[in-house]
Order: sequence, then structure tokens, then C-alpha cells
Amino acid sequence: MSKQGGKGGAAAGKAKKPAKAGTDEKREDVLQAVILADSFQDRFKPFTLETPRCLLPLVNVPVIEYTLEFLASNGVQEVFIYCGTHSENIENYIHESSRWNPGSVISPFSSLEFIRVSDANSIGDFLRDLDKRSIIGGDFILVHGDVVSNIQLDAALAKHRARREANRDACMTVVLRSVGEQPHRAAKARGITPVFVVDPTTGRCLQYEETHPLQSGRYLNLDPAVFSHGQFEVRTDLVDCGIDICTPDVLALWSESFDYELPRKNFLHGVLKDWELNGKMLYAEVLDDGYAARATNLQMYDCISRDVLERWTLPFVPDSNLIHGQTYRRIKGGSYVEDHVVAERGTKVTQSAVGRGTTIKTGSTVWGSTIGRRCKIGKNVKIENSYIWDDAVIEDGASVVHSILGGSVVIGADCHIPEGTLISYHAHIASGVQLPSKPPARISVLSDNKQLADTDVSLVGKGGKGASYTVIADDEDSDDEDGADRDPAVLQSSLLYSLEGLNLSTSSISTLASDDEYDSDDDISLAGSLHAGDFGHARDRLSSFASDDAAKPDGFHNDAVHGLVDALRADDSDDFDGAKLEFMGLRLANNASDGAMRRAIAVAFVRRAAELLAPEHGALEPTKAAAEALTAKKGAAKFVKEVGVGGEGVPQQAEFALALQRALGAVKGLEPARAGALLAALLQQLYSLDVLEEEGILAWWADKRAAENEDMDALREKCRVLVEWLENADEEESSEEEDDDDED
Amino acid sequence: MAPSQAAHVPTLDNLIKSFNNQTLEASIESLIFLLKRRQVKGDECAKATAHILRQVVAKSKWNDVDQLLSRVQSAGSRLARAAPIEPVIGNVVRRVLGLIRDEATEDRNADDLASEAASDIQSLTPSTNPNAHPPQRPAHVPVRPSPSVISTGLQVSKSMFNLLSVANPGDSPITGASTPMSQAQPASVHALRSEVMDGIEEILDEINQADDQIAGFSDIQIHPGDYVLAYQPSRTVERFLIKAASKRRFTVIIASHAFSDGASEPPYAMLRKKLNAAGVNTINLASNGLMAYIPRVNKVIFSAKAVYQNGGLLVDSGSCIAAQAAHEYLKPVIVLCPVYKFCPEDPSDEVSRGELGNPSSYVSYANGPAVDALEVENTVTDYIPPELIDVYLTNLGPQTRHHLASILADHYKTEDIGFSLQLGEP
Repeated sequence: MSKQGGKGGAAAGKAKKPAKAGTDEKREDVLQAVILADSFQDRFKPFTLETPRCLLPLVNVPVIEYTLEFLASNGVQEVFIYCGTHSENIENYIHESSRWNPGSVISPFSSLEFIRVSDANSIGDFLRDLDKRSIIGGDFILVHGDVVSNIQLDAALAKHRARREANRDACMTVVLRSVGEQPHRAAKARGITPVFVVDPTTGRCLQYEETHPLQSGRYLNLDPAVFSHGQFEVRTDLVDCGIDICTPDVLALWSESFDYELPRKNFLHGVLKDWELNGKMLYAEVLDDGYAARATNLQMYDCISRDVLERWTLPFVPDSNLIHGQTYRRIKGGSYVEDHVVAERGTKVTQSAVGRGTTIKTGSTVWGSTIGRRCKIGKNVKIENSYIWDDAVIEDGASVVHSILGGSVVIGADCHIPEGTLISYHAHIASGVQLPSKPPARISVLSDNKQLADTDVSLVGKGGKGASYTVIADDEDSDDEDGADRDPAVLQSSLLYSLEGLNLSTSSISTLASDDEYDSDDDISLAGSLHAGDFGHARDRLSSFASDDAAKPDGFHNDAVHGLVDALRADDSDDFDGAKLEFMGLRLANNASDGAMRRAIAVAFVRRAAELLAPEHGALEPTKAAAEALTAKKGAAKFVKEVGVGGEGVPQQAEFALALQRALGAVKGLEPARAGALLAALLQQLYSLDVLEEEGILAWWADKRAAENEDMDALREKCRVLVEWLENADEEESSEEEDDDDED
Repeated sequence: MAPSQAAHVPTLDNLIKSFNNQTLEASIESLIFLLKRRQVKGDECAKATAHILRQVVAKSKWNDVDQLLSRVQSAGSRLARAAPIEPVIGNVVRRVLGLIRDEATEDRNADDLASEAASDIQSLTPSTNPNAHPPQRPAHVPVRPSPSVISTGLQVSKSMFNLLSVANPGDSPITGASTPMSQAQPASVHALRSEVMDGIEEILDEINQADDQIAGFSDIQIHPGDYVLAYQPSRTVERFLIKAASKRRFTVIIASHAFSDGASEPPYAMLRKKLNAAGVNTINLASNGLMAYIPRVNKVIFSAKAVYQNGGLLVDSGSCIAAQAAHEYLKPVIVLCPVYKFCPEDPSDEVSRGELGNPSSYVSYANGPAVDALEVENTVTDYIPPELIDVYLTNLGPQTRHHLASILADHYKTEDIGFSLQLGEP
């Protein structure tokens, strides 16, 4: 609070532009808005490799146009745009647009500024930066660059002001659209279900949680403080349209909490939870009419496109021609067609939008789709529910069902593009190719690092261009909104909403203890994060894990492994206690079983050791790598002993050795011989550190599970020397070796 | 222009207020987007168009009539294209174009007179030393008043001589070589500008007073004891009924869409209150029950959004059913339509198919299964064929279909009818 006071004063005192300095009152009158044009997500990949999300065409209009027009229709005067990736694209777009260019006389905004933050990694960084700049004078509207809405905010703004005047602590109003309790396509498409606990009389928001279909727990815990409010509603029927009316206090709150990244999951949840501390009150404005939604993922993109074509978003419909130079007219069959569209006799175009210069040859049918400008569509083509961007070419006889074809894509004759396919810019599918339907293909000419990918002839056919684009599920540098929540992102990254491919995980929701749980989890997290592409293989190996591991809460494994690996990697500190504390905290928070912990620790150390074998980390010998991994950080060995093994007993030690073996088996890119050597080195190192005892290792050796298949056996064989040596072990030799290692 | 704290949503009034501190281009563009976003619609469109064209005449640069015409045409066609569903915009533009042409020809005629008059004057005035005078002459000689004199706005009371002054420079031989041509030009431009602006003011007045003028005919149309069916009464119809209520005792049946959801007050509550206060009974009717009441009704009244040259109407959706029902029972249908809503063109295909609105008036977006399964076409306008209409009650008095052509001919010039096509702009 005190901090805010200072900020507010500063904002008025040293207003950035002297011309606008004026009085406080004057600034209050000017409605300001902040657009967050980067969401730090990769749900629109591979399209967003080339174009930022807010410039992707939604019914042939870049998404940000909807957002800007929405702000203009609400009388916003000053706009600040925060851009992250592709910022130059967005800036160029705005500067070239005759309507939004800040220098243009016809711009509805008195000012429009871009703010670049070089080191921003999250929305939180943007807002903390905004707080430092002191350019916000009074209430402002915070929106994302992908909002499509026709609501008028006057009523909400007036209510917000009234509340703020009554109580200075009422600092934010979240605008939500109710979608009813029955299944709704907009609700389904969003992936994560926001749960708002709201006081129905005042609209005050009491608690915020998120759920999604793939989480293991089906319950939410209500904060006991909620019950002291007497009356409240728990609502899951709301679509969060990402429109917030904020006072500058909100920015101060962001600054105070340096680790908040996401406006909802972190900020809203956190501020409401710590209400006792910060005393701030947040309100929800639930709208029952009007349209508001965010194109947050491909399914929402699909949903909003359909809503636009069905005119729910009026006046933001094609035949309003809000963009300069558009000439859409509504024709029979509920379609919108621009001038200079040639549709030959015998074509059927229904419930679609077709851009200028497109030709559709005879016998083709287009249904429920949007087609960009200058596309060429051959004879007898069938297009259903698809989004085809500018300059695409579809040759005779092809069929496209519920897919997105990026700009300048070429589809050869008689191709079949099945549901859910995503084909990014400039890809070329040769004639006669049938793309796979399960899983639907994602084809891009660029790979994830924006280099040209090698053409995959088996996928796109001879003469085609493009390769399958795989979303690399890599947590370390994932900028996904749900870093910890991997699963909903899986749901959201495809065009089709389907739980089909994820059956294993859904079954784990219903059956508490089963092997499947472990399987599915490791498919995604372990194998995925270790770049193990061969899922089937990994599953084979892992399926026999003890079922006591099964009741392990979602996400624990990932978080724990990454926490530990990061701590092991850290160059600047030798201390492992922090990581240990974090790990234990995570364990308590997730109520993880001993088995889960053991596995997580084994994976973490193995990963670190395997990493050290790699050339870029010095290409250490397996023995050195094992020693480095286990002893470089003070307390690491002790941690493994106390937590990882979790007891003096021989069975526990054997389990840990087994866990190490399995983790090594899952490491991709390591030849089995090296892996075996590393396993032997790790075991030896652990033995010499007194973490594992002779009996433990021998018990592992005798365990049938350690040799259940060829790969496991190969690893195990490498340890034969060690085991034989152990069997005739001499204490002094080992201690000597330990000294050697310590010197390293 | 940020208005008061309470409302940020831009409106026509705010736009009109902001004319002075905005460039012309910015004002036009703001209005275009207000139209595109449907933040200005219906009857407001006519007013908005007149206001903006007044700005075009006042602020844009033009040196002769043709330039002015093309300025107005281009601004007008941009507006008309922005809202193809509002034919009224085109009407106002045509009216203004016609006005400019009238003023210009008046000037030209005046010119011819002026040249004669001027030569008379010159011959009468013994100009002993013509070369000494020229600098002062424009200021003193009544034949050619300086621009400042004209801009005082005294044209209304001008004598014949003053009128002569607004000569078209191109063919003005008036005062011979002594008067520089460059001075003549601004003078006439100035005069034309203020005359056209006055003319636009008159059009604005006409638009504003049309409702009252129509209401003035109410006692002729409504007789004591009548049962009048008002279908979705617009402001025009409301005024008409209230005016009638002050003189007649009759019964009004208000038909409207069924308002299913719990609206805070029943539809047209204000109108009913006013009518009841004047001693007129009202009956509220959902539009699907309308047929049952038709036999009791003496006449059906509604207002039009536009009247086409064939007599067909553009109306709010639903009115067509009322008109058809009345037609079946041979009840007169009276349409209230001010003259500015008469379009000198035929309805296009798009118009006769009706404008599509937001489906949410029939299906709530919150109704998930319905949103998924249904495609809701909510037509918000209807086209009514001319044969269903009996009386067109304009602000100039009641008309029949057969006399519409003369009204159109009186108000529009044939060369302006296709004004938006004359510019080859995309």
C-alpha cells in the first residue's frame, strides 16, 4: 500500500510527456490500455515460428486488429503495447497500418507506444517493467493481444470506479463471460477451466483455482476464509476473456511479488490467497451478453472463427469490413465473399469467408471455412471447417478437413488432409499424398530453431517440401504458460480437442493405483524431457515399476527432477541444501511416495552424469562423470543417502540401484556400452561414498527385474566386473580410490 | 476527446463536439468507424451524415463548384460504403450534392444578370479616373463586397445587388480589368461555402423536425374510437401516437417481439405511461399473437428505415408480418417516413434479403448445445413490397405510392443518384 502511494505520486509528478502532464484530473479522464502482445506460449507452433500469434489471420483479419478495434470502440485514448518475440513484425504491422499508425491523423488513439523489454520471460516481467515506467495515470485496461470482444466496458468501468472510490483497496476488475453450465465449445476449447469463487452480491472474487481434465486430483480445496463471507458461488462456467480493469495498485502488487509470471494462475491466485497480507480486493464482472474470448490456442482459434462467421461477434464480422481495403459482402448460403473472387459455376460455398483474388474451380465445395486472399483452388476440391491463409494453392481433387493451412502452402492433386492437420507457411505436399490422421501431422519447413528442416519425403511425398514438426517437450526452456502443468498444454496444442491419445492418463484419474499412471507420466515427462523419442520402447521398460509408485501426484516428478538437475548444474554455488529443502517441500506439497522420490532423484543424478559425458560439457570419462555428479556439490551424497535411498535397508538400496538402471536406460543418445559403464561408475561411486552397501548392490544384482529385457540386461552386464570385485572386496582399495576422486 | 468520466464509449454527440479540435479527415474516419461498429445507426445516420458533410464543406479546400462536389461525393461515398445497410446516408449526400448544384446554378444565373447589371453600373458611374481606384474598389463598391462583408452571414437579407456579387470567377467580366481575378475567386467560394452550409443546416433542421411534422398529421389519420396497431413503435411512431392522444380517444395495440428473458421493465413502458396519462388505452401484444387481433384493428402503423423508389420499404424485422396480416384483412397500413428517407434507387438483392444481426437476441451464447448445433440467422431488417402499403405519411403530408416519383424528383437531382458509382475508387 505504502509503496503504491509513492508510485501513484510519481506517475502524476513526472509524467513522461510534458504535453500530457496536465493535472491529475486530466489524466484520469484519459482511458489507457496496455496490450500484452506476447503470451510466452508456443501453442500456435509451428505457425508462430514465422509470425507472432497476434498477427495470425482470424477470418482473414490479424488477431490484433480485433483487440485494437475493441479498445477503440471503448474510447481508449492511450495504448501501450508490450511485445516479446517477433516484436519487429508487430511494430512494422502497426506502423504500416494507416489506421493504427500513431502518426496518422485518423488513428483513434491519441498515442500508441511500443515498449520493448529485452529480458522479459513472462507477462509478470512486462507488468513489473510497466510499474517502473510510471506512465499509467489512473485506471487502465489490461488486455492480451488476442482478445476478440464486442462488449462495452462502460458499465464495468463505472462499477469499478464506484468500488474504488468506496474502498481504495478494490484494485482490479476481471471481466468474465458466462457460458452456461451445459457443454460449450468455448469452454471445451480453453483446456484449463478457471474456477472463480465469487461473492454473488458484491461480485468480489474470493478465490481462484484452475482445473483441467488431466489432473489427478478431482477436488479443489476451498480456503477456510472463504466461508467467513457468508455467501459465495463457485463458478466454473466462465470464460476468462483476459480483459482486466486495473488501478496502478495492481502493478505495485506485481512488483512486490517478483516471482509471479502469469496473470491468472500466479497473480490472481496469489493475491487472493494472501488477502490477509495485502488487503487488496479483486472483483469479477460476469457478463451474460456480449461476446468476449481469447484466441489462446488452436481450439479457441477454431471456436472464435466459427463464432465470427456465425455473427456472434457483431459488429466484428467480415461484412463490416473493419480493415481498410476489405470488401466483404454477404452472399447466399451465409458466406462472405470479397470483390474479385471467381467461383466457377458448380461450386458450392457455404458458411465461409473467401478473400479477394481467390479462384475456386468448378465442382468444388467449401463449407464452414475461411480462405485467404489470392488462393487457387482447383476442381472438385472439398474443404470443410478449415482455415486456409493467403496465397495457398490446392490442386484438383484434394480434400481438406478441419485443418489449418498456412500462407503459400501448396497441396498437390488428390491429396487428403485429415482432421487436425497443421501445415505451416510455404510447405508443399506432393500430389496423391494421404497424410496420417492419427496423430494428425504438423508440417513445417522450419524446425524449432528456425532453421530449414530437411524435407521428409515419406511424409510430404516426392517433390514436396517440409517435415514433421515435433513440439519438443523440454521443460528447461519451455516458455509454456503451464510450466508445471504439462498435460493441459498437450490438450491445447492441437486443433482438435481430444482425450484420445491420452487415454492412459485419463484412466489414471479414475483408478488410483495402477501401473498405467506411471507409464503415462513417464511417457510425457521422463522420456520426453530426456529426448527419448522411442515412446513405445520406454514404456516397455518402465511398465513393470512397482505399483507403490502409482499414487504419485501429477507434476511432482518433473518439478523435482528439474529442481535437482538445476541445482547440480549450478556453477555459482556449491551448496546443495537449498535444493534439498526445495525437494522436501515439493515432496510434502505433493504427498509424494518414497518410490516417487527415489525415482526422481535417480533420474536427476543420472541425467546430470549423462550430461557430463557429452562433448559440450567436457566429455568426461564415466568414472569422472559419476564422481562429478555425486560429489561436486556438498551434501549431494548425503542427500542421496538419506532421501534417495531412504533407509538403511537392503531392499531400499536395491530399489535405488534399479531406479538408476532404469533412468540410464531411458537416456537417449547414449550408447548402451557407455550407459553401462556409467551405471557401473555410479554404483561404484555410491558404494565408496557409503550410500549403497555391498549387500544392496548384490541384492539388485540378484533382482530379476534388473534383467527383465535385453536393454536392461546389457546395462546390468556392464556392472558384472564391479559386482565380482565387490564380492571379493577389499575395503582399503576402495578408500584409496575415493581419495583420488576427492582430489578431482 | 475523452468525455466525462462516466462514459468512454464514443458516440455521435461526442464526435460532433470534437469537430473543432480534429482534422476533417480524422472526423470522417471516426464516423466511418462508428458506422462500421454500429455505434451510430438508424435515424442517427442521417444527422451524422449532414453534420460531417457540413464539416467537409467548411473545412476542405476547394476553389470551384466541381471540386466541392467531388469532395462531398468522395466523403459521402466512403460513408455510404461503410454502412451499406443504411441507405439514408446516401440520401443525405444526394440532398447536399443537389443543394450545391442549386446554389451554383443560381450563382451562374446571377452571374449573367450581374454582367448586365455591372455594365449598367459602369456606364452609369462616371469613373473619371479608373486607374486610381482599383485598390480600394473591392471594399467600397457595393457590387463587389469584400469577403469580410459576406462572411457576416447577411446573405439572407441580400438585395439583388448583393447576390450579384457572388459571381463565378470563370466567366466574370464584371468590373473589367481593374479587379484582380484572384480576389474574385475567394469571394465567390466564400459565399458559396456559407450558402451551402446554411443549406445543410436547413437539411439538419428538416431531419430534426420531421418527426414533429409527421405527428402533426396524426389527428387526420387517427379517428376517435380507432384501434391502432403499432408494430415495434419507433421514436417517430411514439411521437405520432402521443400527439394523437392529445386530441383523440382511441386504443393502441403495441406489438413487439416476445421478450422472454427477465428484462427489467416491460417493453415500451414509457410510451404506455404517456399514452395512459392522456387517456388512451394500450394493449401489449407479443408479435406471434398479432394475427388474432388484426380483425379488431382499424389501422396498422409503423415507421420505415427507408423507402425505395418503387415504394418498397426497408423496415425493422417483423413489420412485414404485420403488414401482410393487415393486407389480408384489408386494413389500411400507414407508414411514417420523413422525406429524407426516400431513396431514389431500387432495393438491392442484399437489402431484400435483410440485414443479419447478432444471433444472441434469440439464442443466448451461454446455451452451449444450441450454439454448437444451430446456425441462427437473425434478420434485423425486412423488405416490404409496395403493394402492402396504403399510405406513406411524410412530413410533407400523406402520399400514395403513385406520387412518390414526384417527391423524389423534387428532392434529388438525376446526376446525383449514382453518386457513389461515379468515383472509380475500390
